Amino acid sequence: MVRLGLVLLFSSLCLGVSDARAQTKPQAPSSPKPLPPAQAAAANPYAAALAGFQQRIDAYLAMRNAISQKIPEVKETGDPTKISGREKALGQAIAMARASAKAGDVFGDLGPHLWRILEDDWKSRSPEDQKALFHEDPPLPSNLALKVNQPYPTTLPLVTVPAKLLAQLPMLPEQLEYRVVDRRLLLRDRDANLIVDVLVGTPVKRAQEAPVKREK
Amino acid sequence: MRVHHTLVTLVLSVGVLTATNGSSARSAEFSAIAAQSAAAPAAQRPATPSSQQAAPATPRAATPQPTGDVAPPRENGSVRFAIIGDTGTGTKSQYEVGAQLMKARQVFPFDFIIMVGDNIYGSERPQDFVQKFEKPYQALLSAKVPFYAALGNHDDPTQRYYKPFNMNGERFYTYTKGEARFFVLDSNYMDQTQLKWLEDQLSKSNNRWKVAYFHHPLYSSGGRHGSETDLRTQVEPLFLRYGVDVVFAGHEHFYERLKPQKGIYYFTEGGAAKLAKGDILKTPLTAVGFDTDNSFMLAELGRDAMQFQTLTRVGKRIDSGTLPLVPDPKKLPADKSSSRSQ
Repeated sequence: MVRLGLVLLFSSLCLGVSDARAQTKPQAPSSPKPLPPAQAAAANPYAAALAGFQQRIDAYLAMRNAISQKIPEVKETGDPTKISGREKALGQAIAMARASAKAGDVFGDLGPHLWRILEDDWKSRSPEDQKALFHEDPPLPSNLALKVNQPYPTTLPLVTVPAKLLAQLPMLPEQLEYRVVDRRLLLRDRDANLIVDVLVGTPVKRAQEAPVKREK
Repeated sequence: MRVHHTLVTLVLSVGVLTATNGSSARSAEFSAIAAQSAAAPAAQRPATPSSQQAAPATPRAATPQPTGDVAPPRENGSVRFAIIGDTGTGTKSQYEVGAQLMKARQVFPFDFIIMVGDNIYGSERPQDFVQKFEKPYQALLSAKVPFYAALGNHDDPTQRYYKPFNMNGERFYTYTKGEARFFVLDSNYMDQTQLKWLEDQLSKSNNRWKVAYFHHPLYSSGGRHGSETDLRTQVEPLFLRYGVDVVFAGHEHFYERLKPQKGIYYFTEGGAAKLAKGDILKTPLTAVGFDTDNSFMLAELGRDAMQFQTLTRVGKRIDSGTLPLVPDPKKLPADKSSSRSQ
């Protein structure tokens, strides 16, 4: 019962933050009076971690937008050279601007909470479902190097993020996306094809090479 | 607008194929098709049976010849299109399906082509767009046939900026053709933003036909992947609430027509270049399945019914039928404008 309560609490918090993010500014509560930040963090560590994550996302977007001014957005074109050229230039410029970035810089305190969301989602699934979820054809290499500020390998598929899991994770702006790859949760810049952050050691294991789920 | 099972009247026009009822032996059905292919005249047979060979150094010129197995459209003013999926390999089989599409168009003059994802496999360098899309479909592109692509798990989302894919710079988008509205989704990343957009767009649509397409099949008998139940829980309620009529998907490298699920018609066509031979499992979901050669679909949305036909890389028809549309009294008169939005 306690566990269910926690799950519901997390879910409602996620949804709450998602809804808030969809609007321009969070609305000020009429009552009760907000707690000072330190007390609020102690009372609700998840909300505090989420707020910190949001601030870091905003900072990343501000930096990214400044760079985008110098590397104009690509419009629809029949010339794929322009598309890949812009992607590469944007990725390199962002990586250079945050050259000292390391794993965990953006996820920060939210990492353990994300880990728990992943774990709850993982445990809720049948073994067949677990195998099917991150099954790729052909399978991803076993020693895949995925590091902050490196491009996501362009020859590999973009591992699909299960829709139900995605609904539990904090919403991201359109420029960013999650990817779950072999026990790692990635934060990826969509148009720059850049790995922005990595959460390692998640409970989501590599899919085994085996026939997968069956429709009953 | 949904269809009751009892109203589904399938008119299968290929003698060796009959719609399975779930418990019948589909393997016999596939054997029949395989035997049919093997017995095809030498001129129709590929040089080798493998579908995963390297592309020819010089793609063969499309010399369209009317194909006997292709049925012409039945209605004036219908919406006519082709469906291909999991195409972007640059292999010989992709070129052969491309040539076959051009041939089929002589008899069935489709106006556009929908791509259900995995448009470019592997590296996505500029030359890959040429080898894995522009050359295989050169004749169609020269004939100004537009393609409307969905993203697959092998596609970089920046493909949305590639003009020949007509995605208008968006991961998910919608467009209208005649009395049909098409909803193109990014099933690789079904976030809340996209779900809200989908509900908004579906709720606004009063088109006679509502067609959704995306990469991952909600229902599938595939042994490697199977049904995407996670995705299904998110989008199926919206399809049911707002009356989606037909859904096309890929991901599985074969053709499968599913039995109508909750009144919605489902097709998987992910075998237009890749092929997972023998990957269709025996499940009660299958109406007709084909996993022994590459394939593509032709469809026609008419006033009261959808006609479809599925052909192989060598132009053999493996499935066809008529799927009736049950008018939904809640729908307003069809919007005949041609527009698109994201």
